[in-house]
Amino acid sequence: VSDQTDLIQGTLDLLILRTIALEPMHGWAIAQRIQQISDESLRVQQGSLYPALHRLEHQGWITAEWGTSEANRKARFYSLTKAGRRQLEVEVSKWERLSAGVNLVLQRT
Amino acid sequence: MRAWYILRSRLRSVFFRDRREDDLSEELRLHLERQTEAWIAQGIDPAEAKQRGRRQFGNIESLKEESRDARGLATWDAIVRDTRHAARRLVHDWRFSVPAVLLLGLGIGANTAIFSVINAALIRGSSLIDVTGLVEVFPNGRSGAPMLATYPAYQDIAAHTEVFASAMTASMPDAVTYRDGSGMRQGVAEFASASYMDVLGLRPSLGRWFTADEERPGAGLVTVIGHRIWTTRFGADPAAVGRTLHIEGQPVTIIGVAPEGYNATAKLGVVTDFWMPPQAFAVMRGVPRVLERNAFEAPFFVKARLRDGVTLAQARAAMDSLSRRLAVEYPKDEPGKGITVLPAGEVRIHPGIDGFLKGVASLLVGVLAIVLAIACSSLATLLLVRASARSKEVAVRLAIGATRRQIIRHLLVESLLLSLAGGAAGCTLAWWAVRGIAALDLPITMDLSVDVTVLMYALTLSVFTGLLFGLAPALKATRLDLTSAIRQDGEDGGSRRRFTLRNGLVVFQVTVSVVLLAATGVFLQAVTAARAQRVGFAVDGVAMLRTDPRSAGYADGRTAVLFDELRTRIGRLPGVDTTVLVRGVVMSPAGLPVVLEGDDTSARSTRDAGSIWVDTGFFEALDIPILFGRAIDDRDRPGAPATAVVSETMARQYFGAVNAIGRRFRIEGEDAWVTIVGVARDTGTDSRVDDLVDPTPRLFFRSFRQAGHQPTGVLARTSGDAERLLGPMQRELLAIDPQLPIAMARTMAQELDASLLLPQAVAGFLGGIGVLGLTLAGVGLYAVIAFTVARKSREIGIRMALGAGRGDVVGDVARDVAAVLGAGAATGLTLAVLVVLSMRAFSNPAPGVVFFSPSVDPLQLLAIVGFILAVGVAAAFVPARRAAKMNPLSALRHE
Repeated sequence: VSDQTDLIQGTLDLLILRTIALEPMHGWAIAQRIQQISDESLRVQQGSLYPALHRLEHQGWITAEWGTSEANRKARFYSLTKAGRRQLEVEVSKWERLSAGVNLVLQRT
Repeated sequence: MRAWYILRSRLRSVFFRDRREDDLSEELRLHLERQTEAWIAQGIDPAEAKQRGRRQFGNIESLKEESRDARGLATWDAIVRDTRHAARRLVHDWRFSVPAVLLLGLGIGANTAIFSVINAALIRGSSLIDVTGLVEVFPNGRSGAPMLATYPAYQDIAAHTEVFASAMTASMPDAVTYRDGSGMRQGVAEFASASYMDVLGLRPSLGRWFTADEERPGAGLVTVIGHRIWTTRFGADPAAVGRTLHIEGQPVTIIGVAPEGYNATAKLGVVTDFWMPPQAFAVMRGVPRVLERNAFEAPFFVKARLRDGVTLAQARAAMDSLSRRLAVEYPKDEPGKGITVLPAGEVRIHPGIDGFLKGVASLLVGVLAIVLAIACSSLATLLLVRASARSKEVAVRLAIGATRRQIIRHLLVESLLLSLAGGAAGCTLAWWAVRGIAALDLPITMDLSVDVTVLMYALTLSVFTGLLFGLAPALKATRLDLTSAIRQDGEDGGSRRRFTLRNGLVVFQVTVSVVLLAATGVFLQAVTAARAQRVGFAVDGVAMLRTDPRSAGYADGRTAVLFDELRTRIGRLPGVDTTVLVRGVVMSPAGLPVVLEGDDTSARSTRDAGSIWVDTGFFEALDIPILFGRAIDDRDRPGAPATAVVSETMARQYFGAVNAIGRRFRIEGEDAWVTIVGVARDTGTDSRVDDLVDPTPRLFFRSFRQAGHQPTGVLARTSGDAERLLGPMQRELLAIDPQLPIAMARTMAQELDASLLLPQAVAGFLGGIGVLGLTLAGVGLYAVIAFTVARKSREIGIRMALGAGRGDVVGDVARDVAAVLGAGAATGLTLAVLVVLSMRAFSNPAPGVVFFSPSVDPLQLLAIVGFILAVGVAAAFVPARRAAKMNPLSALRHE
């Protein structure tokens, strides 16, 4: 468990927004999806997931509804709001600038 | 849209707290369930999987806490929690909080009550009047400054219909007496034009306003009564309209009731009782001249509505040309210095008075600030003491991880809660005070109320007090060294110093209170000096009775007969030595401008003198010696040449010699010369305060019979007790005619005392604040000393174990008290002496004018020091006793 990469502060928000941009998802599924797509290299701690979800909801970027999941089980589904969609674009371009910058530093030194 | 989601999320967070918490628990439970299943599916042992899930999840409660923080609930939560906690603590520590709330309540209450007066007199306007397009017009006097208008000037202004759509006038409020059942009451009247209501855009709440016909001289007298007097004196009876009332002895028909909530033309907070047409003014004053262009005084306010499309500049230009035209037409009476036109919104009462009112307001605000400072510093002292006493608790909370911000917030919430409770108590007190004042039967009604403005003021004051004076203790409490504060509860770093913030506040309070008490002393000196003045006329054994036969339907002829009979009857009462008929208030001079014979008349050299009406026997009855010539007697009858007796000072100052017999003067505006037939020794007047300013007024005494006036009362002199004569005198009056009202029945001593009411009230007010301040300072001092003794218990224990006696310990406490009180008393007394000395320097502002000069009265200062000593002993008694009773062993084991 200790070899997982710790997520940079703020990156988790980006990942959550990106993940639920496709379809509304519940918390557990969000964590699973991030883990899967990153080939298990990114693991989301429950301890950070839920505070992040509530923070995003509080900021008006995502909204939550109770619903039933694939296996007919009760779950809380998170989906993007319009503002959330705009915020996702902002976060993506921010991330691109950051990673490009970091790459440049790594390549030129 | 986003705003909506945010709002929804926050509202849910706050109002659906429990549901949100349930949602979160449920969500986390479901998550854990899925995770466990996933692990089992991966082949992990179910029991192991469950435990792993729990481990991974960590502390569910702290996760919830974090989620809540993310929702922004933390601060809200904390404030609610702090408020609950603080409320519980304050209820628990009622021994601290009840006195604190009472102290604050007194301070804020006194403040709010004074503010409600300022509000009524200087802030509140009438919401009933639309001021757009309304202007106020003030003809300028000879100095060029705006004054009030004469009635003809008002008519000239109103005639300028090319700029003014309409104009109205109303006189300054005037005191009138009216008959109320078998007695007489004082009321406030305004004399106003028929256009009054229309210009202001008001409608009587009942009946009608007067018509233009009723404004003309000779028409029957009518009045519109104030809404307030209608409810208080007429029981809000609609049938009051149509009734006849006697005002200044004249029958006046009530034709309407003013609108509810409309007090008066002048926004001074004073409530007008009667509105009457200007012609009633002339009738009631008995002088037609008050409505003429050359009146002694110009008493009329003029307000006008601008015609549509007319600018202020056009109106000003029209008034300038009017002023020039009048100066040409009436060069004697119209100065031609222009006419001031101001938008109604820019004038409170009058441009010349508004500045003075602001001065009065700042004086009151100064008093307010002192009361507030005393109340606040008391609270600060209490909070500081409490904060220090709780330093251990604060230290423990800091140590277990509370942030400094959290603790400051907690302490602030506590002091805010206290100050708000104090504010509520204060508003209640102020409300009682205002109702108490309203219940007093005063000749002038003030429209005082605790309205929204006043409540907002009290609220602001409470929050301000709570924040400002809670902040210092909170900052201090959190700025301490953790380990030492927890380990020991002995002397903290600062307690060895004598002049800490705590002590400084008490010193400040004592200083302010001492200055206030010294000021009270000055006023008491003034009252004593005023009372001790030589009056110059008989006071003991003098009783007076006034009535008003006109209001009982007596014509002049019958009145004369009535008073002769009354005088005879009273003269026959046992113990009565002399009687004399009087007119008006005895020895109360009416100021009149006089012109001396031989003076240059073109230079308008009038002089001021006081006129007193007398009758044959007046000087003998009041023991006023005639120095030269003769007294007024039966020779001074109608038709005989006009005569007067003047006072010694008037003779010397205006005629150059005490013996001014044969010299002549006339009243400005009257043609007949008055010849001086006698000079009386100087006397004071019925006003002890006026006498203080001018002990030898210039007076002249004339026969009211000669001037064709009727008497209004009888003065009787007895060698016995004058007060016991008052009852029989009233019975004699009613025996003649039970319909006759009793306008006044008092002894001369009572009359003179009544004039001292105002300075006595001021002295009482200042003294009350001073005593309140010192008492509050005493409470603060008690808190400081009690706290110090508690903190020093170990030191005291050690000293007692080493052989110190109880006396030494008590002496120690006493030294602490003496240091604080001594510093406050010394500063206060020094300031007070300086103030008194500077007042002495200003007591003789011009040659011939001597104001009352206060002195440094050692007895008064001694009394103040005695009071401070008493406060000190009271504050130190309980702590000192506790210190003395301390058992050395238990004090040492106290750790």
